[in-house]
Amino acid sequence: MNRAARILALSLTLAAPWAGLASAEVVALVGATVHPVSGPDIPNGVVVMDGARITAVGPASSVHIPVGARTVQVTDKHVYPGFIEPLGHIGLVEIESVRGSTDTRDIGENDASLRAQVAFYADSMLIGPAVAGGVLYSHIGTEGQVVNGTSAVMRLNGWNWEDMTLKAPIAMGINYPQVAQHGRFFRQTEEEFAKAKEKAVKALQDIVDASRTYQTARSAMANHTGPAIDIDSRFEAMMPVLEGKVPLLVYAADKPTIEAALDWAKKEKFTRLILATGADARLVADRLAKEKVSVILDGVLDLPDRRWAPYDDVYAAAEALRKAGVTFCIGDGGDASQARNLPFHAAMAAAFGLPRDVALRSVTLSPAEVLGVADRIGSIDVGKEASVFVSDGDPLEMRTHIEQVWIAGQPIDLAHERQVELYERYRHRPKATGSTPAAAPSHP
Amino acid sequence: MMRLRSIRLLAVAGILSAAPAFAGADFDAWKNAMPAQPDSLVVRHATIWTSGPQGRLENADLLIHKGKIVSVGQHLSVPAGTVEIDGTGKHVTPGVIDPHSHSDIVGDVNEGTNIITSEVRIQDVVNSESIAVYRELAGGVTCVNLLHGSANSIGGQNQVIKLRWGATPDEMIFASAPPGIKFALGENPKQSNWGNGAGHRFPQSRQGVEQSIRERFAAARDYERRWNDYKKNPKGDVVPPRRDLQLDAIVEILNGKRLVHAHSYRADEMLMLMRLAEEYGFRVATLQHVLEGYKIADEIAKHGAGASTFSDWWAYKQEVHDAIPYNGAIMWERGVTVTFNSDSSELARHLNLEAAKAVRYGNVPEVEAFKFATINGAKQLHIDQWVGSLEAGKDADFVIWSASPLSSYGLAEQTWVDGRKYFDRADDLKHRDALVTERNALIAKVKASEKKGKDDKDKDKDKKSDAPAKPAYLQWESNSDESSPFESGRAGAEGDNR
Repeated sequence: MNRAARILALSLTLAAPWAGLASAEVVALVGATVHPVSGPDIPNGVVVMDGARITAVGPASSVHIPVGARTVQVTDKHVYPGFIEPLGHIGLVEIESVRGSTDTRDIGENDASLRAQVAFYADSMLIGPAVAGGVLYSHIGTEGQVVNGTSAVMRLNGWNWEDMTLKAPIAMGINYPQVAQHGRFFRQTEEEFAKAKEKAVKALQDIVDASRTYQTARSAMANHTGPAIDIDSRFEAMMPVLEGKVPLLVYAADKPTIEAALDWAKKEKFTRLILATGADARLVADRLAKEKVSVILDGVLDLPDRRWAPYDDVYAAAEALRKAGVTFCIGDGGDASQARNLPFHAAMAAAFGLPRDVALRSVTLSPAEVLGVADRIGSIDVGKEASVFVSDGDPLEMRTHIEQVWIAGQPIDLAHERQVELYERYRHRPKATGSTPAAAPSHP
Repeated sequence: MMRLRSIRLLAVAGILSAAPAFAGADFDAWKNAMPAQPDSLVVRHATIWTSGPQGRLENADLLIHKGKIVSVGQHLSVPAGTVEIDGTGKHVTPGVIDPHSHSDIVGDVNEGTNIITSEVRIQDVVNSESIAVYRELAGGVTCVNLLHGSANSIGGQNQVIKLRWGATPDEMIFASAPPGIKFALGENPKQSNWGNGAGHRFPQSRQGVEQSIRERFAAARDYERRWNDYKKNPKGDVVPPRRDLQLDAIVEILNGKRLVHAHSYRADEMLMLMRLAEEYGFRVATLQHVLEGYKIADEIAKHGAGASTFSDWWAYKQEVHDAIPYNGAIMWERGVTVTFNSDSSELARHLNLEAAKAVRYGNVPEVEAFKFATINGAKQLHIDQWVGSLEAGKDADFVIWSASPLSSYGLAEQTWVDGRKYFDRADDLKHRDALVTERNALIAKVKASEKKGKDDKDKDKDKKSDAPAKPAYLQWESNSDESSPFESGRAGAEGDNR
């Protein structure tokens, strides 16, 4: 692309909310402290982005900026890789309480064939605020009853779900049946609960057993050693899981349920596990480390589950996992409208002991590793997607401002983000003079 | 409440007296006595955020005498025998005030039956034993406005409390705080999210919400007139009007003696309520949540209502479609007294960081932003002559932080109420293992007696070592659910009332 064309593309980008229109250009971010996450910070660093990818990173003294590159001076600023929400629902929900706008759950025991990405609403109003907060990728999954279907990592800029899917499937979600009842709300009798649990465990087992039978029959059919069978999309979806190509994403919240889930997975010889859980993971940390289970600690800004637990039980859980050697990343609890607060979950973990560099990693490179996409995103390294943000300080501090964002090399127009537009509009509202109270309040 | 509390205490006493075996356990770990109040106390060399006219002072001292602040300044001279705390490198602030909480309430937060329930009172259901009290202290909170839920256009009477952990419900009540009441507008009183069966109670529209309030205001005026007429009767031979607790409270509202805290989201409904109040000659004390407050900031400022908002909640229901995190900043710029509230036992634990979001979104200066968590809440609740800032004569409610209270990495290290230390992180850490040892000893005792009763024959089997392989706090029986029947649950208050 010649220079004129590049300028034209740039002006289109800046002028219009249709940021995705801009053609690929070469951009060099110059003068900031670069935080690659994968390695030490680089004072006065340079990041070169060519099209969708990072093509150079390093100190200003050693990085060659290609001729014709657009140079963006970010002196005294900081450049970070975009945050990755490790478990969420962006694009699957607009207004939580409006049923027609939510695609976060489904019913039925075997929903293995559900694919989260196909319901991703590319124009969701929730995407803008997340991106403005530096969250540039989100791992989304449907929640079901037993087997949930496959999840996907979405790139939070693009035209439709197809071009916004970074990778799918990521994992097959299963809800491991809860071992013990919690809370005083909607409590079942012990018998009812035991019965429901048994039913759920059996449902899960039946699905796996039937999938294995299907697998054998299917392979016999393929080898012409067995009869033709009916194709079942749910069992088909389970095949890569049985073959170990797609990991299980196991939802299990409390200690006994985590332990039961691990026991079950071991018995069934599922070796690739991602555990979506809470602070109880710290109570089984040694085992999680030993069995090499990846953990999504889904939310740090949360209350202890037990009245008598230390008040900072959840805040300190991440550090306990780190100390035990568990591979983990930090999530935000999955509320799509709150994804922009993801870094602050990591920050609270840092306040309660997690080293700051690990906290930053826990919402960038670590989720990429846990989700199996670290070859493409999660750090500022040559060859990775050029998804970075520029801030005026430490992005785990709430006082910090995120000033510029690139997703796969595309500059994002933060000034036209919907909430910013509302801010600007009402901030500049002329002072209201017309409204006269019927009677001035006399008190209090 | 008191009856149940006594039963629980009795039950515990019974176990302890029958348990000489735990002689080694530290039963003082969970302190029950009221913390001591040093006669004279000074915190030295700290960065002090006064939230008052003195602003933020570097290398400053805070001097306290018998639970009240004497002075704030540099190099203060202090009486002999003054207890000294070295605040070097620390930040000291007023105790955080949470203007909107459902944390410490026994039982149900909503009286969801009628559209008007002004007769019910939080003061009758304060839960002094809620663990939320302690957890909030650990987040630097000292004062909380407990409100009913938002099921009713005119809801119940709120209660401001101080977090005097260990005290009785009556002792926690902030006695000087003027009475108030919860109002609610929009989706909740019109039952929008109550399921498909909830389409039969009036009102089902915002228009209906206005009329449900207006009708009661009119009824209260009539009720007041009947009483006034009755009281004017010199002979005393007329039957008095029937006492109506619901209308009593509303008369107080109309006469400016009871502060209205109105749950509200959209600009239209807030404007409606302010105009209705003006018509009746009173001022709405606070608009709670006030998520579209930024659209009518001038009108709110002119009316004189405070605005207590969420820093950044949005999109969870239709009426928060246009909520923006810049809401606080815009209202502040236009002269409204702004606070950020929690509405959540979790969020309440870091309202200092919520205040930092006013810096992030809208560049409110740090000292002003922090007031969103302190003095502004005191002003909204009309308790600012006692709390909310570090100024001479005010209550010694303060927090010592490890770093700036607006920093993500800062921790509340000590929280003081009335010059008494109710939270100390160092103590908390020190006592954790002892608490768990005590707990496990009690559980072991119970299990042993159960087992003995069930099966004497096997009593010699299965003797296992008690020696903990991990720190004691990692040894608990995690499958037991310990939520007290008193505990205000996460599932209860928060999701339902926002």
